[in-house]
Amino acid sequence: MGQNETAHAPTDDASGETEEFDPIGTLTLIAIYFVILVLSWVYIYYIEFLGRDLVVVG
Amino acid sequence: MHIHNYEKIWLAASVLLILLLLGSVTYGAVGPGVAMVSDSEQAIDAGGLDDDDRFSEPRVEQVGENEYEAYVVAYQFGFQPDPIVVPENSTVTFYVTSRDVIHGFEVAGTNANTMVVPGEVSKITVETDDRQEYGLICNEYCGAGHHVMEGKVNVVSQAEFDDRNDGGNGE
Ligand SMILES: [Cu+2]
Repeated sequence: MGQNETAHAPTDDASGETEEFDPIGTLTLIAIYFVILVLSWVYIYYIEFLGRDLVVVG
Repeated sequence: MHIHNYEKIWLAASVLLILLLLGSVTYGAVGPGVAMVSDSEQAIDAGGLDDDDRFSEPRVEQVGENEYEAYVVAYQFGFQPDPIVVPENSTVTFYVTSRDVIHGFEVAGTNANTMVVPGEVSKITVETDDRQEYGLICNEYCGAGHHVMEGKVNVVSQAEFDDRNDGGNGE
């Protein structure tokens, strides 16, 4: 949480080269969402949809 | 322009996700051959179904080796023929039309599902597996009796199917 404290003192590192802002929590959250999305899609499409009887083929 | 590393990661992940979704749909079309309800059928006169070759007498007909066509009429409130009897392990094409209002044709618990529009013929082809009785329901509100509108699709053995068609109805 402390990593973005520098935002309060923008003049200090306005050069921007040294990036201190690492929202690891957001990254983790997005990674979890991503995994949920992929797993749901695989389940919905490959197991639920393609696994049912009488797949429409024409 | 500087892009944060994390941003690159989730940009890449979203592109990957899109490719996965497109890839699965492509796989579905190419592998198992999943198709849409055909829009190639000619429009017909909903009031003149009694003079129509296919729908004056709703039935299941053999059209090729192991290929069958089912001509189905939906009406307020039911389906003809009832039950729709087709043989196991065969390819069945349903041609479904309505003689009154919009209905649905949904073989419960399966992917065979289409709207039924008066004046239009919905065509879906499916492959049947083993013997089984499926429920058939209307999934478009079609009037006071909508909730009792149901039918059956019975997948029977080849022998039973032949029996029914030779012995019984005599056309
Ligand atoms: Cu109906």
